[in-house]
Amino acid sequence: MTQDWKLDMDLGPIYRQIVRHVQQAIARGDLNPGDRLPSARALAQQLRVNPNTIVHAYSQLEREGLVETKRGLGTFIRSDVTPAASRHELLSAAARRYAQEVRALGVGRAEAVRAVQEVFDDRSDA
Amino acid sequence: MIAAMRNVTKLYGRNYGVRNLNLTLPAGEVVGLLGVNGSGKTTVLKLLAGLLVPTSGEVSVLGAPPRHNRARIAFLGETDALYRWMNPRDAERLMSGLYPDFRPARYRDLLDQLRVPGVKAGAMSKGERMRLRLAMSLARDALLYLFDEPLGGIDLVSRERIIRSLVAEWRTDATVIVATHAVAESEGLFDRVVFLDRGELVLDARAEDLRAQGKSVRATFLEVLG
Repeated sequence: MTQDWKLDMDLGPIYRQIVRHVQQAIARGDLNPGDRLPSARALAQQLRVNPNTIVHAYSQLEREGLVETKRGLGTFIRSDVTPAASRHELLSAAARRYAQEVRALGVGRAEAVRAVQEVFDDRSDA
Repeated sequence: MIAAMRNVTKLYGRNYGVRNLNLTLPAGEVVGLLGVNGSGKTTVLKLLAGLLVPTSGEVSVLGAPPRHNRARIAFLGETDALYRWMNPRDAERLMSGLYPDFRPARYRDLLDQLRVPGVKAGAMSKGERMRLRLAMSLARDALLYLFDEPLGGIDLVSRERIIRSLVAEWRTDATVIVATHAVAESEGLFDRVVFLDRGELVLDARAEDLRAQGKSVRATFLEVLG
């Protein structure tokens, strides 16, 4: 699963990109409650980044209530985490970013929704 | 704190090697020492290794002049001083004799990890020789590791293996400084980056802070030094 994780040094802090990868994996159902994340050192080696950065990402995930660290055992997805809630949270965040752009353009709700539909229609045509 | 430089200036004749440099190096950090050729990277490493003495200012490693703590410093210089007849086993005997902190078991692990062939150094590629030299350095239980261009002029596979080993061998009690101009490949490795330009420190920043401002270390490097 972590094999597909890509980092882009021009897209913000690495720790935040790792947090995002974990959030998305939970939303898709690739990571489930009780699953163990790779150790910070193992993931650091795979992604070729500093282990401190992975530790930082994991502690951020812990603050967000998505994972818990069990001493000596590792970092696990919390049992109260559900894919539906994670998915909804990521989706609303993306929608809020879109809405912000829409407001900046002074565009109305109907036109904004139509634009989204057009994008989906375009993709299904392609 | 592992090492510090206070107002350090090093003159070569009338030319500045480094000028009025201040740097503190806490334990657990991997620091990228970045700059173009001739910017003073090697001078900084040699000052920290105790191979050069500052013209003015103070360099300390574990609270003492570096030459008092040579046994805790592993320095990998830019020049390849391996004997051509030496294979990895000869190198092990040499290192064991020279350094009490050399760990043969770790050395053999590293040879594996870095896929160093068991042939004479003279028959190795440049990248393979660098991998061997890196294994020799990392197998020591030093507290300050100084690597001068470990990624320079070698093949991509060697670079990737070297970066992976540097991550694998990372320790919270030691400090690693990597001087390089291979910024794009190595930037994920660094907690902190220090930019040098003509012997002067022009930027000392956390790599993640730079990226939080929307710029990779590589982009910052080009902006500041390009």
